[in-house]
Amino acid sequence: MNTSVKKLVTAVSASVALMAAGQAAAEIKIGIAGPMTGPVAQYGDMQFSGSRMAIERINAAGGVMGEELVAVEVDDVCDPKQAVTVANRLVNEGVQYVVGHLCSSSTQPASDIYEDEGILMITPASTSPEITQRGYELVFRTIGLDSMQGPVAGNYIAAQKPERVAVVHDKQQYGEGIATAVRDTLKDAGIEIAMFEGITAGDKDFSSLVTKIKQADVDYVYYGGYHPELGLILRQARQADVDAKFMGPEGVGNKDINTIAGDAAEGLLVTLPPAFDQKEENQELVAAFAEKGEDPSGPFVLPSYTAVQLIAEGIEMADSKDPFKVASALRSGTFETPIGTVQYDKAGDLKAFEFVVYEWHADGSKTPAN
Amino acid sequence: MQDLLYFFQQLINGLTIGSTYALIAIGYTMVYGIIGMINFAHGEIYMIGAYTALIAITGLATLGIAWLPLILIVALLCAVIVSSSMGWAVERIAYRPVRGRHRLIPLISAIGMSIFLQNYVHLAQGSRNIGFPALMEGSFRFGSAEGFQLSLSYMQITIFITTLVCMTILSLFISRSRIGRACRAVSQDLGMANLLGIDTNRIISATFVIGAALAAVAGLLLGMYYGSVDPLFGFIAGLKAFTAAVLGGIGSIPGAMLGGLILGVAESMTSGYLSGEYKDVVSFSLLILILLFKPTGLLGKPEVEKI
Repeated sequence: MNTSVKKLVTAVSASVALMAAGQAAAEIKIGIAGPMTGPVAQYGDMQFSGSRMAIERINAAGGVMGEELVAVEVDDVCDPKQAVTVANRLVNEGVQYVVGHLCSSSTQPASDIYEDEGILMITPASTSPEITQRGYELVFRTIGLDSMQGPVAGNYIAAQKPERVAVVHDKQQYGEGIATAVRDTLKDAGIEIAMFEGITAGDKDFSSLVTKIKQADVDYVYYGGYHPELGLILRQARQADVDAKFMGPEGVGNKDINTIAGDAAEGLLVTLPPAFDQKEENQELVAAFAEKGEDPSGPFVLPSYTAVQLIAEGIEMADSKDPFKVASALRSGTFETPIGTVQYDKAGDLKAFEFVVYEWHADGSKTPAN
Repeated sequence: MQDLLYFFQQLINGLTIGSTYALIAIGYTMVYGIIGMINFAHGEIYMIGAYTALIAITGLATLGIAWLPLILIVALLCAVIVSSSMGWAVERIAYRPVRGRHRLIPLISAIGMSIFLQNYVHLAQGSRNIGFPALMEGSFRFGSAEGFQLSLSYMQITIFITTLVCMTILSLFISRSRIGRACRAVSQDLGMANLLGIDTNRIISATFVIGAALAAVAGLLLGMYYGSVDPLFGFIAGLKAFTAAVLGGIGSIPGAMLGGLILGVAESMTSGYLSGEYKDVVSFSLLILILLFKPTGLLGKPEVEKI
């Protein structure tokens, strides 16, 4: 054996040793997929902040089955095409668990890929019912459904006994889905729906819509969609002296609506998950967020935290890293989490989840509406 | 009575948005008229104008200046200066080096410029919607029927007046001034104008600067009218303005004005009487119909083959 061959052999065995070492200190990769940029990036911030905190705390407590959790963060811009691209990237990175996505229209196409590739996905924010209606085994959420949120909003409006209501949506899966649920609830309550109409997301001019709302002389306007459009509608409605009350889903409930709508955001009604950060048993966690200078009050922060925690507890309960075994552990177990006691039904939806109506204020704060 | 008021209200809405489409459309039509290319980065110039105005307004507010006319004049000047220099630079960097090549090359260069500017603003200003402070609130009210009142806001009046003033100045400039005459000469025959001693490069630059300045005015007005800006809003507005320019007859300045107004009114009437969902369907169907039956647009002149 000459020296160069010897060198080669040493090099190869050294690299094999290195690879083995790499495997010994194995880590569990958790993909976090949501919008880091784009018009709804503020919700993505909530998702990333909650998931990072969970990963940090779980690692500090010794990890999962002795292994460290590592976050792999990707940006889907809340765009269905981009969501598919980043889902494939997570597949290539060998990720087996995903927290995400945020927008229902992104979660749906991405979940097809995860299910095919045997990746377990928990969305902390997508409320469209269709996502869990396809009999997928590996799809879960830590948030309620539009079919729960819509009736809460519809019943609230119906209880105020309005004469006429306008329902507007942004023609996207989330917005139209929830607007339809609200409309049906109101119809069942015998309330006249003066208009049910879609707008184009990204549009800026709502003067025609506002004029129409004004002419229809409605008492309530329900908007299914996100805050950039509702902010402008509120502002333009205020300009045109529309005196109807506006209401929207959790997609409009964040402080950015105040920078767009200004004072016109005062009195906006929003259905949100209950304020988990106010719960007494979460105060220690809230303090941990405060220490990092982050705000846990956003509607998706603690659901994201919970998603990571469920993955970790699911792995330990199944005593296996196989996503299918983890999924059946999640379906059979009962978990104590920051969003309350979690139990899953067959579809991967929470057995109980509550939405609460809040009144939004011009300074970006909210108070429970009565 | 109420129906009539409703109609007029939608007409006002449509004319307001239409006049700003017209302001942006001028930039497309002038550039096309002179060098026969479509400046796809024009919508981004408009968006940058709106951002500059917003930055200027915020800056003045932090300085504690609250006198509205001063704020508006400073914001307008800043927006016009920044956008015009952008317009000039875009032409110098992206179009002049490829001018005279195959007509697809400047087109692709323009699309590239548009993507570049959009992403630049994304990086520099963030991708979120930024709210414009409400500077001009209040409106005039007319007639009232069954609780419905016709309202014409101060902002809408400002948009009409500003557009009218800009258009008048532009028409006078094109028809009376030396540069305006040179512009017309260059648009008739670039080569011949060059031979007769007109500095065509300078005239082309001037066209880009004028178009960009008008887009900046539109940016300030629409930013204030709607209440928020984001890096992508130039794209949609640019597309609509381009449609308006083609509708009116690309290359014709009165055509751009007419096209803008027609498009604006068509949009607001569609969302007013049909549904907002059909707004874009109707405006683009209108475009296709006009192109089918009058390919040069409403006021465009048929192209004479130059020998």
